[in-house]
Amino acid sequence: MSSTAPALRTRVPRLAEAALERARLTVVPKRARRHTSPVPFLLVVSMLAVGGIVGLLLFNTSMQQASFAATDLQRQADTLQAQQQSLQMQLDRLRDPQAIALKAQRMGMVLPTNPAVLDLRNGKVLGDATPATRLDPLRLMAPAPRKPAVLDPAAQVTIVQPPAHQRQTRRDSQGDTARGAHDNGTRAGRNDHTSHNDTTSNTRH
Amino acid sequence: MPSSRPRGRSGRTPTARNRRPAVAARGRGRRSRRGSAGLRLRTGFVFIALVLSFFGARLVQLQGVEPQKYATLAASTGGTVTVEMPAQRGEIVDRNGRPLADSVDGRMVVADPKLTAPQAPHLAKFLAKRLHVDYFTTLAALSKKNSRFAYVARRVPAALAVRVVDEAQQAGYKGLATRNDPLRSYPDHDVAANLIGFMGTDGPLAGLELTFNKMLAGTDGSETYEVGAGNRIPLGKSTITPPVNGRSLHTTIDEDLQWYTQRVLRQTVLGSGGESGFAVVLDRRTGETLALADYPTYDAGNPQASPAKDRNSLAMTSPYEPGSVEKVLTLSSLIDAGKVTDRTRLVVPGQLQSGDRVIHDWFPHGNLRMTLAGVIAQSSNIGTAKSSRLFKQGQLRKYLTSFGLGQRTDVGVNGETAGLLPSTAEWNGMLQDRIAFGQSVSVNGLQMAAAINTIANGGVRVDPSIIQGRATTSTGQVVGTDVATRHRVVSKNAAHQMTQMMERVVDPNVGVAPKAQVPGYVVAGKTGTAQRVGDQCKCYNGQFTVSFAGFAPADDPRFTVYVVVQRPTNGGGGGSVAGPAFSKIMSFALRRYGVPPTGAKPSQIPTTW
Repeated sequence: MSSTAPALRTRVPRLAEAALERARLTVVPKRARRHTSPVPFLLVVSMLAVGGIVGLLLFNTSMQQASFAATDLQRQADTLQAQQQSLQMQLDRLRDPQAIALKAQRMGMVLPTNPAVLDLRNGKVLGDATPATRLDPLRLMAPAPRKPAVLDPAAQVTIVQPPAHQRQTRRDSQGDTARGAHDNGTRAGRNDHTSHNDTTSNTRH
Repeated sequence: MPSSRPRGRSGRTPTARNRRPAVAARGRGRRSRRGSAGLRLRTGFVFIALVLSFFGARLVQLQGVEPQKYATLAASTGGTVTVEMPAQRGEIVDRNGRPLADSVDGRMVVADPKLTAPQAPHLAKFLAKRLHVDYFTTLAALSKKNSRFAYVARRVPAALAVRVVDEAQQAGYKGLATRNDPLRSYPDHDVAANLIGFMGTDGPLAGLELTFNKMLAGTDGSETYEVGAGNRIPLGKSTITPPVNGRSLHTTIDEDLQWYTQRVLRQTVLGSGGESGFAVVLDRRTGETLALADYPTYDAGNPQASPAKDRNSLAMTSPYEPGSVEKVLTLSSLIDAGKVTDRTRLVVPGQLQSGDRVIHDWFPHGNLRMTLAGVIAQSSNIGTAKSSRLFKQGQLRKYLTSFGLGQRTDVGVNGETAGLLPSTAEWNGMLQDRIAFGQSVSVNGLQMAAAINTIANGGVRVDPSIIQGRATTSTGQVVGTDVATRHRVVSKNAAHQMTQMMERVVDPNVGVAPKAQVPGYVVAGKTGTAQRVGDQCKCYNGQFTVSFAGFAPADDPRFTVYVVVQRPTNGGGGGSVAGPAFSKIMSFALRRYGVPPTGAKPSQIPTTW
């Protein structure tokens, strides 16, 4: 384009030169650049920068906060889970058939011996119901372990002959008391644990 | 190209000509202040090189000169942390989903003796009180010399462990910490303990826990992440291998029935002065084991308190001779083979020559005129042995094999015995005479219960099982109700005749076990009083195995119950020792499952003629 422009100019006849000169295209003179202050620009840039940095910082902080919260919540969840489990364990312990049976027996309950069944379709009673009894109770506790010989010495029984004059007068009753005392002595000495067990189970049943 | 025109034109305009030098002058002025471009570049490069060489030197120092020191430093001040994520061990539950073995989040409490030693006595007292540990052991652990690690308590429920350690810290004690230590809990203590087994410190040691360990254990996972001051660094490096929790094992055991069976069994064994015993309750229709009780037993939560021999299931692992209960199998086979019926009339002599030996009955008698029903009702060895001679060669062995004798039940119990059924080569007339009434053949408890259950089930044997659905043992065997098979052993008619004969056993007039009756129901059963083979002499040593097997309601059986007591010392037999236990267990089971009495009357087929 630049090469064709002068050629065109020479070919066109020079008519109304002044008008032509006026109509000639010229570059619009640049408006004198206003001397603007750099402050707004710097302000915007620094605001952007500061905003970015602060934003990033805030974001980071919030992430950290979230992390703290997560750690905290995790700890809380762990605690709660542990709590739930210990409660579950407690529940399992309470649901142990042995625990239930012991409680029931303590309350005086017994196992039914011969219940009857009521047929709802025809109102018939099947089997003959007999009331439960306390005879032949179910033994719930294991027997106490046998003690080693050192802890369970044989009872030492000393038979003391009553004085001669008493033997004459109290012959009949003497035998009984002696036997009774002897009996108590051996039980207390040797089998206190089992006898204790027996009495408790007797009262429970 | 577009830029060339304006420049050409601008040369003509005066304004442009005026402005240019001004711009140039300003640029020149700046250049003079900053120095030439080359100089600036050189300075910059030198500066960058300086900085980079510092970095390089530091890098060489970190990586080349003392890398170990920094690695340990980084590891000790946090850096990355690897947390083990233990897989939760699957539960073992009963048929109603109640846990028999349960996994709980546990912790171990550990101490750093270097820090705890100065306050050891006080701290030991505190811990002994709170964690129920032994004071002296704890004291020794806390004041261990030249050590930085000591166990204080293991397998403590997490809630308790954390609370105690926190309290200790608040009270000013230092050097305590907790670590993961999964805890296995057995809420029912001894209920089904012999079957379930227990966990040792590092793994399962017995029972189903061991057999199905692979399935129960799962796979541990781990998590590695970066931490700073105890908190996880967000967006930090982190890798997670999630743990695969173990699957739970569903058994066919009924917790309550199992408990009751164990209590009755214990009372029975102790009451008869016996050595051990077991009881099995089978669901007649499905072969599911509702209860398998062993005595002696132990607390699965505290296995060390009991001797090792009490911790396995004698019912499954210890073979014994079943005695007269086996007559049920012999005679129902004989009926099935078409040789006899329940009314077949027999003359039972006082003794029977068998090879070089003589067979006796448990009561002395002369020639008795018994029907086959009488032989069962009175449990006559001679009558059974004499009838069994009608079998063709190898026929009885085939029937007994079909009843499941001599083969493991493969229910998933470790160390199950297959029992002992003499091979065809060993089989002879003398042996068959004895096998006919349950001697010279040995079984395990579940095997025998399943054989009796075959009669209850109309002659069809159902494989017994203790696992619901299916499960794979650690050796790759698939067991459970899903894979249980059934096959016909004797005809329905033969089973029916045998049931009627067994109903006579509990008859107060003609039978030997009236105490096995269950009030309101018709019961079919059979006693067993077998001589026991001694441990040392491998001969009959005058001790007995007494048992009772039976089912009810006899006309539509729901359960098969088998009770065995080894070595009773009160002189009782199957009817008087095991019979009452059978009655109690059966009665409980019928009540528990709401089985109404059928209203049928017990059979009255003649026992004599």
